[in-house]
Amino acid sequence: MGESPDDIALDVRDLRKAFGGVRAVDGCSFAVPRGKISGLIGPNGSGKTTTFNLLTGVAQADAGRVLYRGEDIAGLKPFQVFHRGITRTFQITRVFREMTVFENMLSVTGLNVPDHAARARAEELLDLVNLTRLRGEYGGRLSYGQQKLLEFARALMTDPDLILLDEPAAGVNRTLLQHLLDHIHRLQEQGKTVLIVEHDMNVIMNHCERIFVMDYGVKIAEGPPAEIQRDERVIEAYFGRRRQS
Amino acid sequence: MARREHTRNLVLLVVVALALALVPHGVSIYVRSFLLFTMMYVVLALSWNIISGFTGYTSFGHVAFYGVGAYACAILVADYQWHWLASLGAGAVVAAVMAVAIGYPVLRLKGPYFAIAMLGAAEGTRVIATVWDSLTHGGLGISLPSADTSMPAHYAMLALMLATIVVAYTVGHSRFGIRLNAIREDEGAAEALGIDATRYKLAAFTLSAIFPAVAGGIQAYKVLYIDPPSVFFVQITIAMALMSMLGGKGTVVGPIAGAVLLYTAQELTWVNFPTAHLIAYGLFIIIVARFMPRGLVGFAVDRGWIRKGMVH
Amino acid sequence: MERSDVRSLYLLGAFLVCAYALPFVIGLGAGTVRGDAAWLSYLATVVVGGLMQGGVYAMFAVGLTMIFGVMRIINAAHGEMVMMGAYFTWVAFFYLGVDPLLALVFTLPLAFLFGMAVQKVLLNAAVGQPELTALLITFGLGLVMIYTAELIFTTDFRTIPYAPGTVQITSTIAVGQNRVISFAMAVVITTTVFLFLKFSRLGKAVRATALNAEVAMVCGIDVRRIYLVTTGLAAALAVAGGALVSIQFGFNPETGVLYTLQAFAIVVLGGRGHYVGALIGGLMLAVLENLVSLMVPNGTAMVELAAYGLMIFVLLIRPGGLMGVKEG
Repeated sequence: MGESPDDIALDVRDLRKAFGGVRAVDGCSFAVPRGKISGLIGPNGSGKTTTFNLLTGVAQADAGRVLYRGEDIAGLKPFQVFHRGITRTFQITRVFREMTVFENMLSVTGLNVPDHAARARAEELLDLVNLTRLRGEYGGRLSYGQQKLLEFARALMTDPDLILLDEPAAGVNRTLLQHLLDHIHRLQEQGKTVLIVEHDMNVIMNHCERIFVMDYGVKIAEGPPAEIQRDERVIEAYFGRRRQS
Repeated sequence: MARREHTRNLVLLVVVALALALVPHGVSIYVRSFLLFTMMYVVLALSWNIISGFTGYTSFGHVAFYGVGAYACAILVADYQWHWLASLGAGAVVAAVMAVAIGYPVLRLKGPYFAIAMLGAAEGTRVIATVWDSLTHGGLGISLPSADTSMPAHYAMLALMLATIVVAYTVGHSRFGIRLNAIREDEGAAEALGIDATRYKLAAFTLSAIFPAVAGGIQAYKVLYIDPPSVFFVQITIAMALMSMLGGKGTVVGPIAGAVLLYTAQELTWVNFPTAHLIAYGLFIIIVARFMPRGLVGFAVDRGWIRKGMVH
Repeated sequence: MERSDVRSLYLLGAFLVCAYALPFVIGLGAGTVRGDAAWLSYLATVVVGGLMQGGVYAMFAVGLTMIFGVMRIINAAHGEMVMMGAYFTWVAFFYLGVDPLLALVFTLPLAFLFGMAVQKVLLNAAVGQPELTALLITFGLGLVMIYTAELIFTTDFRTIPYAPGTVQITSTIAVGQNRVISFAMAVVITTTVFLFLKFSRLGKAVRATALNAEVAMVCGIDVRRIYLVTTGLAAALAVAGGALVSIQFGFNPETGVLYTLQAFAIVVLGGRGHYVGALIGGLMLAVLENLVSLMVPNGTAMVELAAYGLMIFVLLIRPGGLMGVKEG
């Protein structure tokens, strides 16, 4: 078991995952810095979604390690990953449709507090995302944007230290996106670490301090937005090799 | 829910309990029997609802636990001279063990596969009861010594029903219940929120097995004779499912209302249309499943008469 | 296939080998197994007879797997449709004097219409709903069918005396003529259905809808019409199964219940929506049942247990069955 430096929140080392003959993740390594907003990007088929699933326990890695607070969480199931202090949201919202907004918030485990404290926290978070007036409505009746906010608030119930966001900008209008980004920055100000998987380049370039780029199952580049934008390998991955005339 | 509402519900329950405790002394045997069966179906429907309504795992073989409880009582009382109340406890334990043993592998299955597997389990239990005649007397069935009156059985069933209602109510209004609902709604998302679905499902399944087993034991004690087909009767599972659906799956009031309504309707139809009543029953099942899948409570919620959700 | 997928297939294979060996083992212990040539040829007869019976099973299981595959719903009344087929044939034979096989000419279209009606009135609402809805609806339908049959025909067992002779297959193996005829008819009907599914436009549309209904809709397939055809076809196959079974065994309104369970077991073993799987499953189940009936004491009750046991273990080892993916 290796140790990671204190300023690393999540240390991904040589992650591998194959489906049949396809090596979706082929030796991927990167270190997510603590207390910052990072982004994970890559063209379609780059393996970033699979990597995300490996980090959250949805898929089991064939090899490699994921170190969080000195522990290898690579083989853990999703609920165990959650109990280590890592929460996530989903690309296509997965709120509990036949349960009320308030019940959605209370479904979260790991809060070893009495009932009234859990309810208070739920109310607090619903207020933060402006969903208080909808607390008695079924999750399935909310608009898509409201569901995104609900899922986001739900993921914050346990005050996690590491939050993984799966394409938060997908299907969301500009105003709502700005709200979400404001919330995300507020999280970072509180000292939390955020890792965003995204396709929306504006979001990534304008809001992430560090970016990891994947292609063909490995990390091909990492760095601050300015560097990534100029990186030849990244441009090639997205647009193909520049033809020499 | 506000404390006020809980208190109101408790008072209501106590009133009903008192009524059911006193009424049987002044009525005919037929009415007493009717009350017993109604209470039993409330127990069965509420129990089924814990695994199938709250947790969303439709068990199409829950009658297996009922039958096992009936046989536990019959065997222990008739062959080993146990006191019948003790045999009820034994039945509950056997059902719990069986639930864990069956549940652990079978709860991994999804929707329709789980339903079919449970159906197979129930039918398989019936066949085992038929062929393992050294234990169960096989197809001959078991006769129990008769009791002086039917009152003990009545009180036992009343106590069981109250216990089941209290447990179902507590589960339904607790965070445990919310988590079961979460598993039903989206098991993957529930896991991402820290819910160990395997453990929660198993807990719900085991809980849902105990009460039917005790009910089966009480029935055996009252009916005085059981055999595999009567006690592992697939229509009992259907009744549980239908009652829950009719009243409103996934609620507490729903299965209770559904059980009372359906059983009463059944009795009235049977008395008045002896040959056609089973056809009418089949038609009724079709109509309820086709047109009222959300049940009476769902209907009331949609109209705004009842608040959405269980925990407020 | 992924590693765990292949692993579960091997596990299933190992289980099946054990399942088939078990009757022999029990029989050896109970003394019902003998090593002499006469018994062995009797065993061969039983196996051959089982295969033929399996052909008929497979035929009506194909209908169930079609419904399950295309619409993802469970038809708990499937056995009752088989029973209905048996009674149709009986009525045709005793009241109209029509040969049971010839009766298929009009009972099959009748069954097709019945299936379409059931789909339109009852089951269209259940597609896409949780499985309980379809289960209850079809169970209710089954009840109505059983008790209507009881009202009309009483619970007495009926038989159709037909083709009573035996057919010598080899010098030592003889099988009942009615069984051979049933098997031949089942082969003809099943092959027709397979050809239809594989080569006709409508058949391909059915298969496409089973794979992905949304994509099928986008490709211009009228999914609602496909559903009607599917249930119609399934009902026709079930009724055909009933007709072929009616000339071999006795039946009464309640015999459908066991057929439903057997059909479920076959569909689970073969894989949901896999037609060849249903064929293999049907043959395998029938042979297993016949072996159990022959060698295990208390065999007739144990036959049911064989079906349930097979089904449950397949569900636990590999819910997708032989031909499906691991998870089904």
